[in-house]
Amino acid sequence: MTDLMTDAAPVVDVRDLQVHFKIRRGILATQTVRAVDGVSFTIAPGETLGLAGESGSGKSTVARALVRIHHPTGGSIRVAGAQTGRLHGQDLKAYRRRMQMVYQDPYDSLDPRMSILEAIGEGLAVRGVARARRRAQTEDLLRRVNLPATLTSRFPGQLSGGQRQRVSIARALAVGPEVIICDEAVAALDVSIRAQVLNLLKDIQADAGVSYLFISHDLSTLRFMADRVAIMYVGRLVEYGTSRQVFSAPQHPYTQALIAAVPDVSAGAASARAKLTGEPPDPANPPPGCPFHPRCPAAIDLCRTVRPELRPKAGGQLAACHVAPDEPGAAPAPATPSGSEVTTS
Amino acid sequence: MPSYRSWLARRPRGGPAGPAGAPDPGGPVVTVDHLTVAFPHRTGSGEVVRDVSFAIQPGERVGLVGESGSGKSLTARAIMQLIPAPGRVSGGRVLLGDAELGADTRLRASSWRGTQVAMITQDPLSSLNPLVRIGVQATEMLRFHRGLSRAAARARALELLTAVGIPDPARTLSQFPAVLSGGMRQRVALAIAISCQPRLLIADEPTTALDVTIQAQVLDLLERMTADQGSAVLLISHDLGVVASFCDRLLVMYGGRIVESGPTAEIISAPAHPYTRALMASVPSMTGELPDRLASIPGSPPAGGVWTAGCAFAPRCPIAAALCRDADPELIGLAEGGRTTTDTAARHHAAACHASHDDSWALVAAGSGAS
Repeated sequence: MTDLMTDAAPVVDVRDLQVHFKIRRGILATQTVRAVDGVSFTIAPGETLGLAGESGSGKSTVARALVRIHHPTGGSIRVAGAQTGRLHGQDLKAYRRRMQMVYQDPYDSLDPRMSILEAIGEGLAVRGVARARRRAQTEDLLRRVNLPATLTSRFPGQLSGGQRQRVSIARALAVGPEVIICDEAVAALDVSIRAQVLNLLKDIQADAGVSYLFISHDLSTLRFMADRVAIMYVGRLVEYGTSRQVFSAPQHPYTQALIAAVPDVSAGAASARAKLTGEPPDPANPPPGCPFHPRCPAAIDLCRTVRPELRPKAGGQLAACHVAPDEPGAAPAPATPSGSEVTTS
Repeated sequence: MPSYRSWLARRPRGGPAGPAGAPDPGGPVVTVDHLTVAFPHRTGSGEVVRDVSFAIQPGERVGLVGESGSGKSLTARAIMQLIPAPGRVSGGRVLLGDAELGADTRLRASSWRGTQVAMITQDPLSSLNPLVRIGVQATEMLRFHRGLSRAAARARALELLTAVGIPDPARTLSQFPAVLSGGMRQRVALAIAISCQPRLLIADEPTTALDVTIQAQVLDLLERMTADQGSAVLLISHDLGVVASFCDRLLVMYGGRIVESGPTAEIISAPAHPYTRALMASVPSMTGELPDRLASIPGSPPAGGVWTAGCAFAPRCPIAAALCRDADPELIGLAEGGRTTTDTAARHHAAACHASHDDSWALVAAGSGAS
């Protein structure tokens, strides 16, 4: 699929995105939590970018900054070439038409008092579809997500989890977006229903050419869905490459641990579970240096003091790790007192 | 907490309370015998667990796999005698050792829960009392069942919390559940559950709410702690990968029934029931080439409570024939061909599918799969 370096005209171009929150600690003191701290990525038209990480890594905050539920503290978000950092009012509304979100829990994201016709019709109204034509178009949308058109008069409480999530997808499509953000969109569904919805999302992409930012903690789902993958850890990307690069030859020890921790049916009872010790750090107090170093089996002294930047690594992907070998021919690492150790493990 | 004090005061007098009705050490820890659980239902039978039989041997690790509504959690709750009202066990029985739950007077709930069978749930935030310090919750079973003094129970709780990898156990004892992370809460719940060395630990989706790296830690811990004590484990999950990596033996549930059972390796390498096959195919693999589309199962799992004649999976089954819609297949051993009893189900690969016992059907299935 798309190579990292040859994104001709990305539909989403996020550069150095920062989302910081001030939280109260005690009566007077406040503290800044860098939930997202310098994240850059692009999404090409019709492409799926997978975003993975543990809870607290900031992956949902990235999504929320993209649809402007959170206001970015710094950096830029360009969608189809237009800067979107300071949009207000009508401009913001117009922007949100291009970027829709499907949430994890369709029980929470659909209004229980709105019929399916009203829920989807609202999206059509935003796009300016006349009231008289909304029913027909809603029925079309329902058919597109493999639901019977007769569901229009039902309410969310009368639908199963899988049906609700399809309605959420139909509602997102109603607005005619270029990008759909799926934030753990299949996590709450049963395994057999999950496969149906994943297939549906792929079909819609092939049909309508939408791009997905597909956020999931489930790496096997990401491997199936994503053309490229970004792995987040405590507010930053630690690895970023094509699905093939990241899954077949992960460079960052954190990515390696994540992949090794996925229980695989085919591995059977004897499979040894990789043990990553410790828990993700508190985003309000990340450790100095590489935030992963307290849990990292390969950490060297440099990792405890200097935070690694994303750099091209041996497999061709980007990774933020002092230990992983650099891509041959890449620019030398910035001089540091212990720079000679960078490429040795 | 007055309620806890008064509860502790009701502890049976005369020293430590041993396990009531000491079970036969040679037999299974738990025998579930033709268990049926029903909820009142306007039109159907309301049965959500239907004629489920299995036994768990001492130290064995058994996995119970199924989707929501398959009856897997209610089966576990029936063992714990915790079926929420108005549901009830409408048929069959559960034996602890050789004593029947609910009938045998040797088994008072307060004497066997925790000592013979203990349970951890998906979210310890809902199983731990949010208003009671962990120190009280981690020592109450030790004091009640084992008759330990406050100091001795605290010392034992410290040991247990250390063993499950709580970094600062003394501090944790004085904290409330809400301040702990999900992984730490699950560790605390596990420490409490095994504090009285239960013969069986039921773990109902213990890692579903956890991150994948923490999930691996908790599964390892579960494996180590129960192996040390010789406790059997019934691991309930919707995730076939989790169950397969942990269990010696699997039970696959669909529509309130066990549709396939047998040794993990046999089921994974040669799943006999179309549902098990579909379940395995619908999970994207982490290795090898990926298909363009996942093999998905059409339709939705049955709602439960209303059953028609025939196999519950027939409406979604790719190889269902007229027979499947008429007669509900029994769980039958694949090798011996005879009807599976509770005893044989323990060891042999069995499936509840008309097709899996009919060689000519296999050809039909292969044909329809190729088309």
